[in-house]
Amino acid sequence: MSSQVVPALPRPFSSNLDLWREKNDGLVGQARQLTKDSRSSLRRQQLAQDTLEGFGELLLTLQGLPAAVPALPLELTIICNYIILRASLAQDFTEDLSQDVQRGLERVLETQNQLGPKSQPRLRELWDSVLSASSLLPELLPALHCLASLQAVLWMSTDHLGDLTSLLQTLNGSQTEDLLVLLKSWNPPAQKSLAPLMLQDAEGLRDVLLTSFACRQGLQELVTGSLSRAQRSLHEAASGVCPPSVLVQVYTALGTCLRQMGNPQRALLYLTEALKVGVACALPLLEASRVYRQLGDTAAELDSLGLLVEALSATHSSETLKLFIEVELLLPQPDPASPLYCGTQSQAKHLLASRCLQTGRAADAAEHYLDLLAMLLGSSEPRLSPPTSSPGSCLPELYLEAAAALIQAGRALDALTVCEELLSRTSSLLPKTSSLWENARKRTKELPYCPIWVSATHLLQGQAWSKLKAQKEALSDFSQCLELVFRVLPKDKQGAGSTCEQKCSSDVALQQLQVTALISRGLEWVASGQDNKALRDFLLSVQICPGNRDGSFYLLQTLKRLDRKNEAIAFWREAQTQQPQEEAAWSLPLYLETCLSWIRPPNCEVFLEEFGTALLESCDL
Amino acid sequence: MAGASSCVHYLSDFCCPPGGRAAGKPHVLRHEAEVFLSTGREFVYVYDQEGGLLTAVYQFPDQVWHLQLLALRRALYVLCARTGIYCLSLDSPRRSASQACEDTEDEAHPCPVIHVDPDACVLPDAALCAFTVLDDVLVALVQGPTQWKMQLFERPYPGEEPQPGGQIGEVELSTSTPPGGVPGKLAAPCFLPVLCCVFPPGSRAPHGHPQGCGCLVLEEALFGLLFGVDATLLQSPVVLCGLPDGQLCCVVLKALVTSGSAPGDPKVLVKILHHLEEPVVFIGALRTEPYPEEAAADLPPGENEHSDCMVALGHQGRTLAIKASWSASGNLVPELREYCLPGPVLCAACGRDGHMYHSTPSNLCVVDLTRRDIPWNTEKPDEATGGLPPVLCPASLNICSVVTLCVSGAPTGSTELLALSSKGRLITCSLDLNSEVPMPAKMTMANAGQKIKELLLDIGDVSERVSFLKKAVDQRNKAITSLNEAMNVSCALLSSQEGGRPISCTITLSWSRLELRDMLLATCTLENSSSFCLDQGWTLCIQVLTSSSALDLDGAGSTFTYTIPVDRLGPGSRREVTLPLGPSESGTLDLPVTMSCWLFYSLREVVGGALAPSDPLEDPCLESLPLNLPKQEGVCLPLCKRTVDMLQCLRFPALASRPTQAPCVPGPACDPVETFLKTCQGPGSEPTGAASLRAKYLPPSTASIRVSAALLRAALEDSRSGSHLCSATLRWLLAENAAVDAVRAQALSSIQGVAPDGTDVNLIVHEVAVTDLSPAGPIQAVEIQVESSSLANMCRVHHAIIRRMKGSTLQLPTYSCVPRRWSQSKQPEAPAHPTCACSTYTRSMPTTRNCFVKCRHCVTSCARRMKSALAPQLRSSCRFTSSCATLALSCCDQLLASSGRCGTHFRLSIGACLATPFTGTSAAS
Repeated sequence: MSSQVVPALPRPFSSNLDLWREKNDGLVGQARQLTKDSRSSLRRQQLAQDTLEGFGELLLTLQGLPAAVPALPLELTIICNYIILRASLAQDFTEDLSQDVQRGLERVLETQNQLGPKSQPRLRELWDSVLSASSLLPELLPALHCLASLQAVLWMSTDHLGDLTSLLQTLNGSQTEDLLVLLKSWNPPAQKSLAPLMLQDAEGLRDVLLTSFACRQGLQELVTGSLSRAQRSLHEAASGVCPPSVLVQVYTALGTCLRQMGNPQRALLYLTEALKVGVACALPLLEASRVYRQLGDTAAELDSLGLLVEALSATHSSETLKLFIEVELLLPQPDPASPLYCGTQSQAKHLLASRCLQTGRAADAAEHYLDLLAMLLGSSEPRLSPPTSSPGSCLPELYLEAAAALIQAGRALDALTVCEELLSRTSSLLPKTSSLWENARKRTKELPYCPIWVSATHLLQGQAWSKLKAQKEALSDFSQCLELVFRVLPKDKQGAGSTCEQKCSSDVALQQLQVTALISRGLEWVASGQDNKALRDFLLSVQICPGNRDGSFYLLQTLKRLDRKNEAIAFWREAQTQQPQEEAAWSLPLYLETCLSWIRPPNCEVFLEEFGTALLESCDL
Repeated sequence: MAGASSCVHYLSDFCCPPGGRAAGKPHVLRHEAEVFLSTGREFVYVYDQEGGLLTAVYQFPDQVWHLQLLALRRALYVLCARTGIYCLSLDSPRRSASQACEDTEDEAHPCPVIHVDPDACVLPDAALCAFTVLDDVLVALVQGPTQWKMQLFERPYPGEEPQPGGQIGEVELSTSTPPGGVPGKLAAPCFLPVLCCVFPPGSRAPHGHPQGCGCLVLEEALFGLLFGVDATLLQSPVVLCGLPDGQLCCVVLKALVTSGSAPGDPKVLVKILHHLEEPVVFIGALRTEPYPEEAAADLPPGENEHSDCMVALGHQGRTLAIKASWSASGNLVPELREYCLPGPVLCAACGRDGHMYHSTPSNLCVVDLTRRDIPWNTEKPDEATGGLPPVLCPASLNICSVVTLCVSGAPTGSTELLALSSKGRLITCSLDLNSEVPMPAKMTMANAGQKIKELLLDIGDVSERVSFLKKAVDQRNKAITSLNEAMNVSCALLSSQEGGRPISCTITLSWSRLELRDMLLATCTLENSSSFCLDQGWTLCIQVLTSSSALDLDGAGSTFTYTIPVDRLGPGSRREVTLPLGPSESGTLDLPVTMSCWLFYSLREVVGGALAPSDPLEDPCLESLPLNLPKQEGVCLPLCKRTVDMLQCLRFPALASRPTQAPCVPGPACDPVETFLKTCQGPGSEPTGAASLRAKYLPPSTASIRVSAALLRAALEDSRSGSHLCSATLRWLLAENAAVDAVRAQALSSIQGVAPDGTDVNLIVHEVAVTDLSPAGPIQAVEIQVESSSLANMCRVHHAIIRRMKGSTLQLPTYSCVPRRWSQSKQPEAPAHPTCACSTYTRSMPTTRNCFVKCRHCVTSCARRMKSALAPQLRSSCRFTSSCATLALSCCDQLLASSGRCGTHFRLSIGACLATPFTGTSAAS
């Protein structure tokens, strides 16, 4: 009985191979057709999913057979197509993609009989052994290089740059460590005309890698501050194959870079270039506002901010179905700290409004703040009501800034409305006032926690009343503010607060709020002729914040008016010994700074100097 | 709650899918008289409750996971597994248009099945797992490769092609455990996430959302407390999300806006409220306190009431309730309580007056979250009426395995539940939780028949439930009884000493002829002398561990484990199990063989049956439920352990009274030397043949072990009883062999035996005097000589003897047999140390060297003092000395094993001498 010998590669196999190749080519054609398709995105997505499944099935079929040299180029091509389609459909690189690569490599080694024991070698070692295999077929090389470029994409997306460098060194046969040079000098073999079709060939992927690496490196260098290197890398990125949206980012980053290097005019040139690209003009506009701010051109800065708000109001362009691996996919999402983060419309609007307030355009600021509040609260459509998630800002503070802007613009009644709105909307969250007084009476130890912005609201209300010459109301609000501000508890007691509270309840801010409220009330007492009460408040303010110029000024002025010279001299002597506070170190909330600017005496320094000399003279006499 | 009375009405039957939760998630919604229903299959039914008939059946391409109705717009949103979200316009003429393709196979439905057009898919995404629709936006939860993603879309309208730019926002929810499944080909998740939208009271509340549609209105204080000032100021809806890993997080919807260059930052957008540690199956809200009177007047009728308590339920019944309350100092503080309700929870719903309903496979319960000890209509609402009850007491409604539930208030003030049972039965249940038992309505002729029908159905329902519960109870009782027995048995076994165990297992060896071959059989006898019964769940496990080769005694051999179910072994009874140990077909028996027996009690077998559902249809949830068993699946009680070595397996045909049962040597001549010798033997050679050739050229391998006679005498003291020491030694060696009686009877000092593979093994014991060990003069010793033509068998016997010696020397009493002079001169003050010596000699110099090289590492590691004796010399004889007898023996044994490993066939003779020169301090004085 003789056993039949089965041939290593039965005849039907080669014809099957043709069949599978045709199927692969068909699927590739289908995918290419899809990108040009004008049908609805839903249908296209479904079709793309079907195509992906087609590749998957084909791959399963081929990998179900023992690895054979003739089938290997096709198999690797299908793996590449599968990975490209899957990554671009998901717009993400997942862990199992590299497993697909690994399986492909193992299949190559299987034909070389080099597959060692199942010890799970690392991908890098697998690549080394595949590329060092002596008996590699030349027709295998295009597919292998494509697989290598996909591997490079995966490693770049996961920041495995060491592995990437060594892979490229092996492919190029060069020893340089510079990834950019390696990528540039990598010359993948061209695809034969009869080879199975590929969605994206190795050369195309190389270009994508080159641009995205240059871009990533440039952005990183920009963040770390090595500006000239960043400039070089970004130039490299811009000169490569760069899709428009990435080009805008690169130009903007170049603008940022030049601005930081002290070349605002050149930066503006790049930003103009970025705007000319025609997509997503928000980023260059934001950067332009920063450049103008650096140049001191407030009008241009506010103009660009205004344009930025407009630009962000447009719904972003419809996304087309992407079936290839593109540069965007390899760029990290900008985080809020990045210079390429432009935020939402409301954040831009807030920036515009606050810049207006800071630069003294109170009327514009008030309008912008009112717009912003209306945008956030009025509309029911969330699309137009973006967040105020910019770090350090929160809605109550926004209200306070709006109120401050309104007061500054001379619209005290409107400011009062804004403050009342804030208090009424949050009334359910505030401590019950009845129990507040009760506790005060009972002298209970545990005081109710009150957010700092509640007292700030009363301060602004008081200021508004004061502007309206309603002294009684102003005094009552200032008193309420003081009552509450001395109850602000240490940070660990914060209950219903939001994140911004950590910032604005910093000790300095709290202290300044107390001082501002005391001086404001003192001024109100002065206006109503009750100098003694005013004196008490001014004294308190100086005690809270020794060395405070405003407090000292008002105290001395009042003492002088009351003709209490001795006390004035004693205080003056004491104040002379104290160092004035370093103002630059503070970072106060904008509303508080605005408030401080109201109570600041116009010619404080001159007065203090005159007072000093007068006092000395009187003493000498 | 005692007054809870319910009245159940049966409405209609729907086909439910066989199988458990993985098969889908049923849903039921009611809007006015219309009931929308999915049973977990690919159908959505529209049922007219007033008319009592089905008005439409929609068929989707895959299972339906979620339903939501926008009543005002007459749009039904349906999440279809692995496909996406469909939107059906309930009034559109499409219904009639696509009626052409009706499904005649499904005869259960009187009305035609409408295949849903793929164009109705408004949001295709295979990874979509949950969604909720608001007036103008749609929130979807997508299962990403590593994280859950919440996406916000402009609300797609029915029939409208989804806009490509319709996505407004996206944020990743941080999740510690990535959801399983391969992307692209998503496996159906075991638990789906729960989405729910929370509105602040002042906002434009969700109009036309029927209850149970995932839209809640929380009162201001709780809303602000949970979601912060910003959400309160924005008056923004908040999406609450309960994930299968137990996370409960929230996203302020108005803040969830992203653009291409401003991705959603999870740190800002997502707030984690709580972690329930088990899959979240339900999120709801309740009103637990009465409204202040003025507020109640303001509330428009039909408006969603403002809840003051949020609840979330986990699958195993863990319940979280959050309420806002004022602290003594007037601060707003969250009051957060966790309860444990009976699980697993199939579905839940919140009703009015602080009642929450939740369904388990065995019951539908209602719990009350109000503080009933403080009266509902309190006189002074300003006082601290709030607070959550310290415990929840579920009250049963006597309806089992409800898989989905919908609560609505009837105009009369009672509550009406619409429920779908796991068998696909749609029922309504009217509850009057506060009133006494309602008066029976006046019977009329017209409704008598209907009434009787309903009563019969109720009876059927109840009896079905009773039988189910009875079965479950029986099973649990049985399991508990069995567990009790097992506990007793375990205690008895673990507390008793080795000797007097109430349940014992003994192993005996015997040779028997099986299938023309002699087999060594081990018989394990399990004897139950306790007063307990070994019942279902007990298994006797016997592990047989063979060494891979006699020459490599430390190497890992093969292990077989036999498991024999012990089926009812009552008190006093015994069970025998016989296992063949070998030799195998090729005649080899890899001795020594270690046999260990233990009893195993399978918890899964006993308890698992009681916890698992008896009928998969009854409890769709239980299948996927991990049994609450400890990590180990059972209890293991070791019984006995025995090592079977060569000395126990030797047979002595010469001793047998009748030489009838000559051991049957296995067929193939396994010794290649034997074969070689046979082929050498020409036709005209000597008649004696192989035997004489073997005797001439291959004298048997010999090993000898010398043991101090005094030592041996001491060790064998009890069994010596005057007889000759040599014979006693032999008897001691063969104590576990069947031939021991013959040895005793004939007082033999040498014996010829046959190894299992048929080669001969001779044991010769005689007394010698050892002169070279002690300077005090010769020591009387017993030499045990092992001879065998097979080196392997010789090694095995040697190993067996060494093993016995180790066993006995370890138990040796302190003993002095050395003249006082020696001990005094050498170690005058040293404490007692037994000194042992083992010597080895071979005839071949290279072999010795080889052996020493091989065993040096072990030798140096175990007995340091030998180093000086070993290193300089490569004589053909070597001696180990060590202060520890066991170590010396081990070294000798190791050396033998490694010399055997060399592979050459050489003559080896090993002598091991064990002496006990010992001195105690008392002896020295």
